[in-house]
Amino acid sequence: MSGRSLPSPRRVGLLAAVVAVFAFLLVPVIIVVITSFTPQSFPGIPQEGLSLRWYGELLADESLLNALKVSLIVATASSILSAIIGTIAAFGFVRGEFPYKEQISTIMLLPMIISPVITGIALVRYFGSLSLPSGYPALILGHTVLSLPYVFLLVRSELVTYDKDLERASRVLGAGPAATFRHVTGPIISPAIIAGSFIAFVVSFGEFTATQFLISPGTSTVPVVIYTMLRTGLTPTINALSVVLIVVMLVVALSSRRLSSA
Amino acid sequence: MSTSRPTVDGVTGSIGEFVEGRITNSHLALFGLGFVGVFFVLPILLLVPESLAFGTGEPLQAYRRATRGIYVDAFVRSFLYGIVTTAVTLALAYLLSYFMAFGTKRVRLTMTLVIVPLWIAYIVRYFGILLFLSPAGPFADLTGIEPSLLFTTPAVIIGLSNVYLPFAVLPIYNSLNAIDGELISASRVLGASQWRTLAAVVFPLSLPGLVAAGLIVFILAAGSFLGPAVLGGPNQTMIANEIAGAFLNNFNIRFASALAVIYSILLVGALLVFNTVFDLREVLGNI
Repeated sequence: MSGRSLPSPRRVGLLAAVVAVFAFLLVPVIIVVITSFTPQSFPGIPQEGLSLRWYGELLADESLLNALKVSLIVATASSILSAIIGTIAAFGFVRGEFPYKEQISTIMLLPMIISPVITGIALVRYFGSLSLPSGYPALILGHTVLSLPYVFLLVRSELVTYDKDLERASRVLGAGPAATFRHVTGPIISPAIIAGSFIAFVVSFGEFTATQFLISPGTSTVPVVIYTMLRTGLTPTINALSVVLIVVMLVVALSSRRLSSA
Repeated sequence: MSTSRPTVDGVTGSIGEFVEGRITNSHLALFGLGFVGVFFVLPILLLVPESLAFGTGEPLQAYRRATRGIYVDAFVRSFLYGIVTTAVTLALAYLLSYFMAFGTKRVRLTMTLVIVPLWIAYIVRYFGILLFLSPAGPFADLTGIEPSLLFTTPAVIIGLSNVYLPFAVLPIYNSLNAIDGELISASRVLGASQWRTLAAVVFPLSLPGLVAAGLIVFILAAGSFLGPAVLGGPNQTMIANEIAGAFLNNFNIRFASALAVIYSILLVGALLVFNTVFDLREVLGNI
């Protein structure tokens, strides 16, 4: 059954099926990228040469550039917040001792389980009753809650395998709790925290369903703009914007993966 | 730098001494729980009194409205599409996971190919499927056949299965990968065919991962908004679309809350039924 065994008919069959499933999984994204280079005004496969025409249109459109700016601001702010809160919570749940710890920790994961449509209406209603304005404050707080479970899980799994003797050694050698954190614990777990914040950034950058309730005029995010454009008709500008979204998300996610595996 | 550094250490040091003993690890956990409690759990719980509307002229009116045909249809569709999507996704995910566990040495590469789509926004992936299925799209360009699936139930199922497939591969692969290779060789040595080994040894041992994957995919698919919104028509509306529509089109937060509460109760009910067949705690331990 190893990779080097002779190609039996059964193995060829399995391989063909696997290739088909991978095609099913990846072709939609590949199509979005390829058709973004069409010179025509419909997102079809470019047959008469490639063109950057629709990327030019993108750069000339104020509202699309603004959506990109909003998405970047919201994703950056919410990923910093959820990195801080998620790390604090992970420390508490790994090191703290209290009854029903495991059961209670699932509460931290609820935001990734509950349907984001329900999260969206619950948050917009709640923020409204607190007179917290829609737009940036609502978007940043909402995305912080939605991305928190990812940071929590990543940092928690790092802390579980962390060797506590290093901290004891530091304390025995005379370092205070703050110095121990700054020079021992911090440097060891910081790759996990940064990786977690990058994943939080990716979650925020792509979130649509809850976000559609939290935006205000002028603070549409990229996914919301793509959705609105899809409803009005297909133009390759949607592709160009999608490709920008794909590139940002993949670059951030790949750096996160590099950090967490290092 | 070198002159200021001891001071910084001195200041953080004295803060550290002050904090130690006063703030315990349990306080840190409480801080995280407090944030999720105030900005997530509480807002969601507040949907219940909002939907009941006691103290207004017409309590429970939203619930009476929710029993109308179109909303019942949306509930039924959510669960039905959820089940069909789960079946399709599990079959495809099992194939990929089996290949990764037993059929290839390039596990890291195949795993990356499975995970990369998870990093790309749902909206972009649904847009890709929309393009692929559209009558003037690339598929028609290349083959000359105009697909007529768009805005039908199969289109929605294709979209949901595509988007949630990676979530199913991870737990199934983990459980297949954990199977002791000796058990498989033993089965083969004792004369079982490859198919019989798969059916009698490999499959039963991978069941925990399969059940966990099914649970994740079902919950995600049944609550999906974008799948039916992008790929379905008016006859594919699922409950998330009705909830969003009640709020965004009619500004009826009371009715949207009632639908959300009913959906959550039905989902918990379904999970309790599931719990009688498979132990939910054991399944969650596998995720």
